[in-house]
Amino acid sequence: MDKWKQFFRDYGWCYLFIAVPVILFLVFTLYPVLAALVMSFQKYHVLNPKWIGFDNYRMMFQDEVFWKAMWNTFVFTVGTVPLNLFITLGLAILIFPRSTRTQTFFKAAFYLPTVMSGVTLALVWFWIYDPTESGLLNMFLGLFGIENVMWLGKSNSSLFSIMFMTYFINHGAGIILYLAALGGIPKSLYEAADIDHASEWSKFKNITWPLLKPTTLYLLVTSIILSFQVFMSIYLMTQGGPNFATTTIAYLIYEHAFVYYKFGLAAAESFVLGFIIILASIAQFKFMSSDVEY
Amino acid sequence: MAEIRTADTQMSTAALQKRESKRTVWRVISYVILSFWVLVTIIPMYWMVVTSFRDIGFSATFTPEWFPSSFSIATYIRFFTKTDAVQWLINSLFVSGVITLSNVLFASLAGYAFAKLRFPGRNMIFWVLLATMMIPAQATLIPIYIMVVNVFNLADTYIAVMLPFLVTVGNIFLMKQYMSTLPSTLIDAARIDGCSEFKIFRKVIMPISKPGVAVLAIFTFVSTWNEFFWPFLVTNSSGMRTIQVGLATFKFAETVDYGGLMAGSVIAALPMIVLFFSLQRYFLQGITIGAVKG
Amino acid sequence: MASIRFDNVTKRFVDEKNGGMFTAVHGASFEIKDQEFVVFVGPSGCGKTTSLRMIAGLERQTDGDILIDGRVVNTVHPKDRDIAMVFQDYALYPHMSISDNLSFGLKNMGRPASEIKEKVDYAANVLGLSHLLDRKPKEMSGGQRQRVAVGRAIVRNPKVFLFDEPLSNLDAKLRVQMRIELAQLHKRLGATIVYVTHDQVEAMTLGQRIVVMNQGHIQQIASPRELYRNPANMFVAGFIGSPPMNFFDAVLEGNKLRVGDMLLEIPADRVADYQGYNGKDIILGLRPEDIHDIDFAYNIPTHNQARVQVEVVEHLGAENLVYFRVGERMITAKVAGESSITTGDTPTFVFNMDKMHLFDKTTEQRI
Repeated sequence: MDKWKQFFRDYGWCYLFIAVPVILFLVFTLYPVLAALVMSFQKYHVLNPKWIGFDNYRMMFQDEVFWKAMWNTFVFTVGTVPLNLFITLGLAILIFPRSTRTQTFFKAAFYLPTVMSGVTLALVWFWIYDPTESGLLNMFLGLFGIENVMWLGKSNSSLFSIMFMTYFINHGAGIILYLAALGGIPKSLYEAADIDHASEWSKFKNITWPLLKPTTLYLLVTSIILSFQVFMSIYLMTQGGPNFATTTIAYLIYEHAFVYYKFGLAAAESFVLGFIIILASIAQFKFMSSDVEY
Repeated sequence: MAEIRTADTQMSTAALQKRESKRTVWRVISYVILSFWVLVTIIPMYWMVVTSFRDIGFSATFTPEWFPSSFSIATYIRFFTKTDAVQWLINSLFVSGVITLSNVLFASLAGYAFAKLRFPGRNMIFWVLLATMMIPAQATLIPIYIMVVNVFNLADTYIAVMLPFLVTVGNIFLMKQYMSTLPSTLIDAARIDGCSEFKIFRKVIMPISKPGVAVLAIFTFVSTWNEFFWPFLVTNSSGMRTIQVGLATFKFAETVDYGGLMAGSVIAALPMIVLFFSLQRYFLQGITIGAVKG
Repeated sequence: MASIRFDNVTKRFVDEKNGGMFTAVHGASFEIKDQEFVVFVGPSGCGKTTSLRMIAGLERQTDGDILIDGRVVNTVHPKDRDIAMVFQDYALYPHMSISDNLSFGLKNMGRPASEIKEKVDYAANVLGLSHLLDRKPKEMSGGQRQRVAVGRAIVRNPKVFLFDEPLSNLDAKLRVQMRIELAQLHKRLGATIVYVTHDQVEAMTLGQRIVVMNQGHIQQIASPRELYRNPANMFVAGFIGSPPMNFFDAVLEGNKLRVGDMLLEIPADRVADYQGYNGKDIILGLRPEDIHDIDFAYNIPTHNQARVQVEVVEHLGAENLVYFRVGERMITAKVAGESSITTGDTPTFVFNMDKMHLFDKTTEQRI
């Protein structure tokens, strides 16, 4: 008894300090994960859920739209993440040699879209893609005599249009991280390379790139996770259409759960998505961190 | 250094000139690329603002203008009279404010405990919390939605909008990283000076953590203000919507009112843009706290 | 005031890097008397700071009892132990002015404002900080911060002062000055002081008694003079004194020690003490200051002589350090600054065997 009293006196405060996050974690993370798992084996109804075994999973894997959504998510990720990372790194490297004031200007300019909501950005780009000449893109291409394009309205261009948008709005945070990491590389390494008559490319390959790997890994993991979950721009700009051309897994889950109220099916889909994301993250850590040097 | 080196790597004046002109060319090219990318990044926002001050009525087609030929606030008047925008802004402000305060308090407490206090299970609890950052939102969303809406019956309330965001693991991690850098001897000194554990937190830790807290508060406020999906799911009545949700619903209700949409977008984004420019330093430095570093 | 006692105190930590447990202090027992100035000294990681933090109550011992003034304080909170501590990095609250830093503890104790002001003014006066009371710590020099840290301890008027390497962040000159001030402060306050340092010069100059620690074990507790003259083992012998004591591999042969090809004679009155080691390998310890250039060997027996090949000479001004080899071991001799020995010479040295120390080769204990 005395021991417990002492334990409480010694550590009671510590547990009190972390109590709220831990309780929220139990209620809003641990329980939901388990509940979602159970739900994925049920035909879900709030009062009267029915156990149906693997039916949800069977239904999901037999659903053509599910595979289409998988493919779209895959295309979106492959088409945005590496290119955006390349753009981010390229911009950071171009900004880095400039004076502090110039750096700050570019940092701020590229970061500005990040403080604006996804809703705002989606609405503005929705209009840029307007199928008539009121749309900025069509107007611009019209200067070169190119006919108006239904960017979002045709199944062969809609997904690409949404991908294209990300090339211009998502670099702020990454640029700042890369600039910080570039600033952390000791100058003496480049001086040593200069003395060895190293070319610019060889300096990049042998000094810059390896020392930026932790940052690259961090950006890669976070941006892949986000791109697997792309939802809002699709909801606001195309509603998954036309003809499911922009239906991603995240959008499909939303539709099944909150439009058709097929909670069990949606839970099964969300589990598959979660599983893929975790696998992808682990794979990247394994693949990239094996030769990360700190 | 320079004199010493010229001795053994004697460069002809021609070679030096060639190198210098190569550098100038590279400099010009890098500025051209940067300027282009900044323009493409900024133009949509510029265009949004310019268009919001044009009264284009409800015409579906019109010519985009680079420089406004007329100035009108009719679109703003329309946006505010047609919708509950004032209420949406109040809702967003309230919800973001409460969530920010809650995160400041609870993430700091927990971050402090994980960084500086020693208690059984500390590392295990922290790593479990951190691992949950890998779980995608979709996997837990459905059970949380059912719990909040159907079980607690909180649909269309502020509590429902705020509940899942009261303290995030990301913020705890940020504060832990920040507080790890504070000298532990300050805590020892305060203990000897007769502070209770909570008083140490309040009188010593919080005052010296202001820069970290400021970063956390700013990022939490912005991300909550911009949050779309969750408030969109749990609010039904117009009076409970946040500005982002309200703007999205306005888009679906008034597809042809581009002017109104742009005015709404400006209204939704303006507070964050003002915040960004007035606290730019915190935004640009803050990103690097918590992210990567070994 | 107060005495401090450790009864078989052990502290184990969870080793976060390698897993498992790490023992910082092994069954330490000692007593510090009231008003005594005791210095804990040893290399980093020897357990000296952990011992100090256990006295403060910032760490809880795994085993054993700690008594302050005869009272067992094992689970007593730091604030209730009537102690004050000065930290290596000073640990001044950066957001508070100097006067707030000084008065923070008293305010927490709920002392009346008039008393707080009086004590803060007194401490500021003693330490020459009166004109700095409104400053913030970052607006002060290292030496000034150090004084504030000491002042914060003084205002509490505690039974015990604990110092954790308080001078290690100061430059050499300031360190000497603060060392003198601390010694004076001890006299004036008449308090019990426990002082931790890794610097043996600081330990020798400040401590009335010194606790030498290594790898969690107390090696010896003694006065500075006793430590220097009669080190309990090779660790203490090597740690105290600068440059450190020389060690020679030796064999005891009757009243002589065979060291390489030298034969050194043991003082007659001590021969009887070592008979048990006759014919065995032992270690001879001789301090650099007890190996003399024969031209400057005054007032010492000169019959133990040897010629050696000098490898390096370092000139320090008042004295020179001469390095040569005996067997595998590098030996240092501290000779007078006027000595003309230079690198490559083969001078004759006098080994003052009256000052010899003999150690068991396996236990490394003094014999």
